[in-house]
Amino acid sequence: MNKQNEGKLDRRQFIQRAGKAGISLAAAGTVAYLLYDSKGPGSGIGAEELVTLPDFSIPYQAGQAMSIVKGSNRRETVTKAIELLGGIERFVKPGETVAIKPNVAFASPPMLGATANPELVSEVVRLCYKRGRAKKVYVTDNPINDPASCFMLSGIGKAASEAGAEVVIPRDSLFKHTTLAGGRLIKNWPIFYEPLKNIDKLIGIAPVKDHHRAGASMSMKNWYGLLGGRRNIFHQDINTIIAELAMMVRPTLVILDGTEVMMTNGPTGGSVSDLRRANTLIASCDMVAADSYGCGLLGLKPKDLPYLAKAEKGRAGTTDYHRLKPIFDTAG
Amino acid sequence: MASAGRRAKGFESAISVCLLAILFLIAVGIFIKQSDSDMSRFGIGPAAAELSLQELEINQLQINEEEKPALSSLVPAGFEALLKTEVYKPETLYEKINGKAPLYIESGFEELSTQRFAKTDDQGLWMELFVYDMGNVKNAFSVYSIQRRAEGKAFSPMRFAYKTSNALYFVHGKYYIELVGSAESDELFRAVAEVARKIRANLAIDYDTEIAELQFFPQENLVSGSIKLYLANAFGFRGLTNTFSARYRIADETVTAFLSKQANSNDAKKMAESYHSFLITNGAVKKKTSQKSIEGKVMDFYGTTEIVFTVGRFVAGVHEAENQQAAEKIAEILTNKLNSVLSNE
Repeated sequence: MNKQNEGKLDRRQFIQRAGKAGISLAAAGTVAYLLYDSKGPGSGIGAEELVTLPDFSIPYQAGQAMSIVKGSNRRETVTKAIELLGGIERFVKPGETVAIKPNVAFASPPMLGATANPELVSEVVRLCYKRGRAKKVYVTDNPINDPASCFMLSGIGKAASEAGAEVVIPRDSLFKHTTLAGGRLIKNWPIFYEPLKNIDKLIGIAPVKDHHRAGASMSMKNWYGLLGGRRNIFHQDINTIIAELAMMVRPTLVILDGTEVMMTNGPTGGSVSDLRRANTLIASCDMVAADSYGCGLLGLKPKDLPYLAKAEKGRAGTTDYHRLKPIFDTAG
Repeated sequence: MASAGRRAKGFESAISVCLLAILFLIAVGIFIKQSDSDMSRFGIGPAAAELSLQELEINQLQINEEEKPALSSLVPAGFEALLKTEVYKPETLYEKINGKAPLYIESGFEELSTQRFAKTDDQGLWMELFVYDMGNVKNAFSVYSIQRRAEGKAFSPMRFAYKTSNALYFVHGKYYIELVGSAESDELFRAVAEVARKIRANLAIDYDTEIAELQFFPQENLVSGSIKLYLANAFGFRGLTNTFSARYRIADETVTAFLSKQANSNDAKKMAESYHSFLITNGAVKKKTSQKSIEGKVMDFYGTTEIVFTVGRFVAGVHEAENQQAAEKIAEILTNKLNSVLSNE
C-alpha cells in the first residue's frame, strides 16, 4: 500500500465490510421480525375465551315502553309503574330466572341515597316471585370496596334476602373478559359475567344522583358495577364508558328512582341535605329514555350529559323520550 | 505506519465492545422491566382484576398496621370500632369513593384513612370517619369549601367546620375530615362531636396554616361560610387557578365575587385577559357601565353580568350576577379592599 492509499479501503475490504454490515442488519431484522408482536400487549386472553352478555331485552310494545309515576311510597310507585307497562308478567315469565342489579356502590346507609333503596329492591324481588312466578331471583353488584359491607350497610343485602332473593357477592371466578363490538374502551376487559350467564331476565335499579365526573349517575351509569379490573381508569373518559355500557348491556327493564334525588356532592353524598324529594319513579324498557327524563330531576337537560347522545348514536335507546309516549300517573 | 494502523484498529475495537456492552445492558434492562410490568396501569391487562379482593384487603390491612394504627383510638364513649382502619392512596381512592375520587386527587390528595364506629348496644347507630390528608391546608380548605352544604350550620369553636342533621365536616390543618352518621340522631351527633374533639386534641398538625386570601374579601355583606377555593378550573376556565370566590348579599341580590393572587401584576393582567377572551369566545358581549374604573371589563353572559379586572397582582371580578348594579357595587368594594391590602404590604 503506497502513501496515497493509506487510510483508504480497497475494493476487497469494502466488499468484506459491506457484506458483514449487511449480514448484521439482516440478522437484527430477522430477530426483530420474529419477536414482533403485531397485536400489542394484551391480557393473554384468547379471542375464543371472550364472552358476550346475552340480550335480555323484550320486544318493543308501542305505548308501553316507559312509565313515570309520582308518589312518595316506593313500593306503591314501582308497582304502579310496572303495571302501566303491562305488569311484571310481561317481563318475567313463570319459571324464569331473574337477576336484579341495584346500585350498591357504597357502604353507606339508605338514608343518604347513595345506593338503591332497599325497600324498592325488595318490592321488585317480591313482584318477580309473586306475580312473575320467577323460579329464582338473584340480586348482585360489584362494588369494589368491600362488597359485603356495601350490601350490609346499604340495607340491600338484608332486604333482598328477606324477599327471597339470593345475594351474589362478587369474587374473582365470576369475572370473564369481554369485548364490545365497535367499542373503544371495553376491549378484552373483565366483567361480572357468571351471575348473568344463565339467567333469563335482567332488571336494573338505580337512584338519580349528581355525579362529580359524569354530571349524573342514573340507570346507564349503574352498569359500571359490572366492570371488573381497575375500572377507575375509565373515569378519564366517563362519557364514552357509560355509553359503551349502555351498548353492552341490554336489560329487560330499568327502574330509575327519583323519589329522593341526590342534588349535590354525588355520587357519594354524605349528608341528608344533599337530597331533595322529587317523588318520581320511572320504569322503562329504554334506559337512554329513562335517563333523559331523569336528568331533568337534577335540573339538567339531556344535552348536558354527552353520554346520552353517544348512547343514542350507539343505538342503545332514544334521548327523545316523548317518542315512547311515556305513561304518567300517581300512586298512593 | 503499520503500528499506527494497528493502534487505530485496537481503539476502534474497544469502542465497538463498549457500544455492544451498552446495547446489551439496555436489552437486559428492557427485558427485566417487561417481565415486571403492570399492564392494568394502562387498562390493557388483567393484573389488578386478577388480584383477589381478599388480597386487596390484606394489602390495606398491612398498610394499616404499619402506618395508621391510631383512628380506632378515637372511639367515643358507648361506641366500638368496627373492623380496622382502612387506608387509601391516590391510586386506590376510587375503591372507596368511586366517581368523587378525581375531585380529591386533582386537589393534592395524599391519603385517606377511614374508620367506622358503632353504638355498642345498637349497631344500627354508627358513624364513619373519613380523614383526608390533602398535603396542605389550602388543598384541605379547597375540597371542604367546594363541597360545603348550603344548609350547613357553623360548628364552633372550629373556624372551618359545619354540621348538617347527620354529619360534621371540618378542616384540621392539612386534613379534611368528614364524620357521617347513619341516622339523624342527637345521641349519634353527640358522639360525632366527641370524635371531632378527640381529633383536634390528638391529631398533630402544623398550626402555621393561615390562608391569607380569606382576609382579602371585604367582610361587610359577606355571606357566612360562602368562601370557596378553586385550585384550578374555576368557573369552567382551566386558566383560572388558585381562585377564591365569596357570596355577598346586597339589596336583596346575591352576588359572587372572586379573586386570585398572582406572582406579579403582569401575570395578573395575562390571566385576566385570558379569562376575558374565554368569556367572549363563549358568547359574552361587552356591556356599558357608568363606572370608569371597570370600563370595558363588564360583560353580559346570557343575561348575567361578568366583570373581570386586575388590582396590582390580583385578578378579581364578579361572576354570573343577575343584577348589574349590584355586581358593579361589589366590584367597587372589592377593588377598594384590594387596594388597601396592597398599600399595607
